[in-house]
Amino acid sequence: MGWDLLVVLIAPFVVAVVCWWAPVAVGRALTVASGALTFVLAVLLVPAATTMAAGGWLRADALSVVFLVAVAFLYATTALFAVGYVQPAGDIDTAARYNRRFFAGLNLFAWSMAMAPVVNGFALLWVAIEVTTVISALLVAIDDTDGATEAAWKYVLIASMGLGIALLATIVMYYAGSSVFGGAYDLFYPKLLGAAGQFPAEVVRLSFVLAVLGYGTKMGLVPVHTWLPDAHSEAPTPISALLSGSLLAVSFYAILRFYQVTVRAVGPAFPRNVLLAFGLASLALGALYLASQRDLKRLFAYSSVEHMGILAIGMSFAAPIAVVGVLLHVLAHAAAKGTAFFGAGSVVRKFGTKDMDRIRGGVGALPWSGPMLVLAVLALCALPPFGIFRSEFLIVSGGLSDPRDAIAAVLVVLVTLATLGITWFSSQTMLTPDPLPDGTTSGETSAWIVAAMAVGLVALTVLGVHPPGQLSDLLTRAAHELGTGS
Amino acid sequence: MPLTLLAAASPPPVPSTVSGVSEAIALVVLLTEFAMLRAPLSRSQIRLYAFQSLAVSALAVFVAATQHVPELYVLAALSFGLKVVVVPAIVLRLLRDARVDLAASNRLGVASMVLLAIAISVFGFFVVGSLPVHSRSLPTPALGMAAAVILVAFLLVILRSDVVSQAVGFFSLENGVSVASLVVAAGLPLIVEVAFLFDLLVAVVVFGVLMRVHHGRTQTLSTDVLDRLRG
Amino acid sequence: MAAVDLAPAEIQVLQVLTIVIFAPLVSGGIAHLEARVQGRRGPRILQPYYDLAKLFRKETLVPDEASWVFAVGPMLAFTCYLVVPLLIPVLTTYPLPLGYMGDILGGGFILGLAGFSVAVAAAETGGPYAQLGSSRAMTFGALIEPSILFITFTVALVTTTDLPYFEAAAARASLSQVVRPAHLLAGLAFFLVVLSDTGRIPVETHASTLEFGMIDEARTLEHSGPLFALLKWGSAMKQLILYVLLINVFVAPWGLAGSRSLGAVLLAIPALLLKAFGVGVVFTGIDNSFSKLRLFKITEFMAAAFLLAILAVLVLYLGGG
Repeated sequence: MGWDLLVVLIAPFVVAVVCWWAPVAVGRALTVASGALTFVLAVLLVPAATTMAAGGWLRADALSVVFLVAVAFLYATTALFAVGYVQPAGDIDTAARYNRRFFAGLNLFAWSMAMAPVVNGFALLWVAIEVTTVISALLVAIDDTDGATEAAWKYVLIASMGLGIALLATIVMYYAGSSVFGGAYDLFYPKLLGAAGQFPAEVVRLSFVLAVLGYGTKMGLVPVHTWLPDAHSEAPTPISALLSGSLLAVSFYAILRFYQVTVRAVGPAFPRNVLLAFGLASLALGALYLASQRDLKRLFAYSSVEHMGILAIGMSFAAPIAVVGVLLHVLAHAAAKGTAFFGAGSVVRKFGTKDMDRIRGGVGALPWSGPMLVLAVLALCALPPFGIFRSEFLIVSGGLSDPRDAIAAVLVVLVTLATLGITWFSSQTMLTPDPLPDGTTSGETSAWIVAAMAVGLVALTVLGVHPPGQLSDLLTRAAHELGTGS
Repeated sequence: MPLTLLAAASPPPVPSTVSGVSEAIALVVLLTEFAMLRAPLSRSQIRLYAFQSLAVSALAVFVAATQHVPELYVLAALSFGLKVVVVPAIVLRLLRDARVDLAASNRLGVASMVLLAIAISVFGFFVVGSLPVHSRSLPTPALGMAAAVILVAFLLVILRSDVVSQAVGFFSLENGVSVASLVVAAGLPLIVEVAFLFDLLVAVVVFGVLMRVHHGRTQTLSTDVLDRLRG
Repeated sequence: MAAVDLAPAEIQVLQVLTIVIFAPLVSGGIAHLEARVQGRRGPRILQPYYDLAKLFRKETLVPDEASWVFAVGPMLAFTCYLVVPLLIPVLTTYPLPLGYMGDILGGGFILGLAGFSVAVAAAETGGPYAQLGSSRAMTFGALIEPSILFITFTVALVTTTDLPYFEAAAARASLSQVVRPAHLLAGLAFFLVVLSDTGRIPVETHASTLEFGMIDEARTLEHSGPLFALLKWGSAMKQLILYVLLINVFVAPWGLAGSRSLGAVLLAIPALLLKAFGVGVVFTGIDNSFSKLRLFKITEFMAAAFLLAILAVLVLYLGGG
């Protein structure tokens, strides 16, 4: 059944190439189709056992499928959103050029992010994530503003340095393996996982720390997160949604692969402590910075930092239920953050500014996307019945059964702090009954935006109320893969 | 004779000529990195980077010859073409188009930077010394030098305030990782190494594009103007 | 002709005499070469001897504020420069009886004492240029000290002693010893130290007395007559001593007498002079290729020397370098 992986490999890339040359309407339609197709293929992979394709270069086990579903879902909804959101100014030719470049870039970006979970081996993983970095850097800079230029430079520099460290981690891991496999071998996962017990401990520890530092730069772990608020706030909103919802998750996937090998080589205590340290720092700093934001998209960017911290802390708990919670959180965060950014895009379209001090009465101005944005923000704060409530509940209950249960308490406190910060925004900008500023009328800017947000909220509700049985099964299998089992 | 009488404590073992030469080449890579700390003009920085890449390619050829790993010849040729010819050409052309050549853009004085870089390198050497690394292809000090190159590259990026120096810092970080891979992963499959190199090429192209965007937007190559986004 | 063997004490005296007699020759030769390279006719190669002879015939003028230190300083420096050749491999590969009196550190201390006495003699005259020169010389001398220390440590780590003879023996032993990074780094660092201590470009312009940059030249401005002759002679001897250390310990320790026969020892003298002249050629090349560094940038130079020295130690520390 490797054909679906091959289609995932080929389709978005082909669509990207077509978008570069084809008329704009064709490109948009193809993008939406490609997004839907990728999501369907990902869903089809959910109940399957480990799938291989392309002579072993592609491999999708349960862990890969979880992240592939997250990426594909956000790809599909972002395609919908982008069709409604992207309306470049300027004359026909400039607008068409921007459109073509934007949609080609969007498809290419989504393609690269879909590649990372399904390639086999640490080396190809690094290559895939490097490709995501270069494409997203160009996309951050595509809006020709001062802020975008600054953000793009910071992003590409810091992320590339981080990936240089990640490359070093890959090489050190290769060296650890060469003690068992000899000088020349390829870095496929099953091989390394099988023999990990015999790797030299010090070398694997070094490799893991370097991997957390390197891929953590792309994931947004404090203290190497400094590019994140700038890049996520200055990029065009569909790209911000993909960056926050999918790219951070894919980088986390890379760390999880290193975690898999490290746990089998040196035991679970060391990697858990490392992840705990970075996770606590990210959660704390994200929560603190949330309270002082003035820019709408920057607010959501810091919320992403906070949620990545939660993911890292969740992995540091010993109970398997916490790992299930972490994986569910990846899916739910993708949906919630995507919807939140779509709403932010809708607000920015309507009010013409990202500055929260100048936005009032959002719910009145946007009768559909306004309330949906409020719901998305509340979902990010772990409000039931949405998916993030369920996932954080699983994480905290896993943490409370851990010997170091104080950490779960700290997690809850910090998440509450973040909630305060982010709901302050929503009450200030969205729920105030102020009259609208001059010139803005009440009404949606585009039905596509509403549709995208609705899909996201439905997915969140499904994940929160009753995740499909096969999905729960998949999560359990993935958690088992991550543990000290096979 | 007094010579033999005095040498009571046996001196540490002498490395073979081969490992001595390879260490010397790795040393050239490290010294070039330090020289970049001082280079005031962007043009001279890029030339130093080209020279450093040449040293890395020479090291690859040397390892290929002495360890009988023929794949490394291909790798050395590719990395020569990419890192000594193409990458400097791209950046030099940007400099020519920008018609800007910065004099010193250091945040600290040169001597302070060198001392700081020495301190960091010492840290790197100690970390490597505590690892149980035994490599057939290159001696362990070469790994220490690679770690020092990586750390000093970070210093270069942090303490310099123009885009070209920062980009060259990133490129020299890749050089350091290449030397490290020659020490511990000389047998990495060729296709993987080629994938790494082409990825680097794409990254370089993107760096070039963004440098041009930066210059087009701010009319300068300095990053001191990048202070809009804070908090 | 039967080979005549010299007693070790005789060889020792011969070492000192070599340095004393031939130091001005090396100085003169380098000055002549430099002038030729710049397209001038230049002074005669034996000019320094004529200068010394002339100076010894002149009268000594002492400033009013000076004390006995003024006279003692140059004589003490000259004595130190007579002592150091006893400790270092000038002519022979094997250590001579008094050679164990001091190791590299000891030699360094004695050279430091010489520099100190000259500086004090200059400083207490009260003349502004002399004080300027001595303070600058002491500062930069202090800055180059860490490099010298680490070079000593390198030698110690390589040979487990810090007698210069053993480093030379190690370097002669095999090609691998010459190529090893620690040896190259220490040699290069010592080369920079010699550049700095003999007052050549890029630290100081050897040929003139520019107020902005002069360091060593300024210290001797207040002395005259035989005291000045001693100072000049001493500085030429210091230059040759440093060259000897550079050549016979690090760079080219070949051509030294391996036995005590008179022929071998006498052959070692021209070999030494040839090598010293070779170093002089290199220094002339540097003189004409680079410009003098501004005073506050000399710290960059010192930092570079320190970098090389400390890298030498680090490479050895990791084993095998």
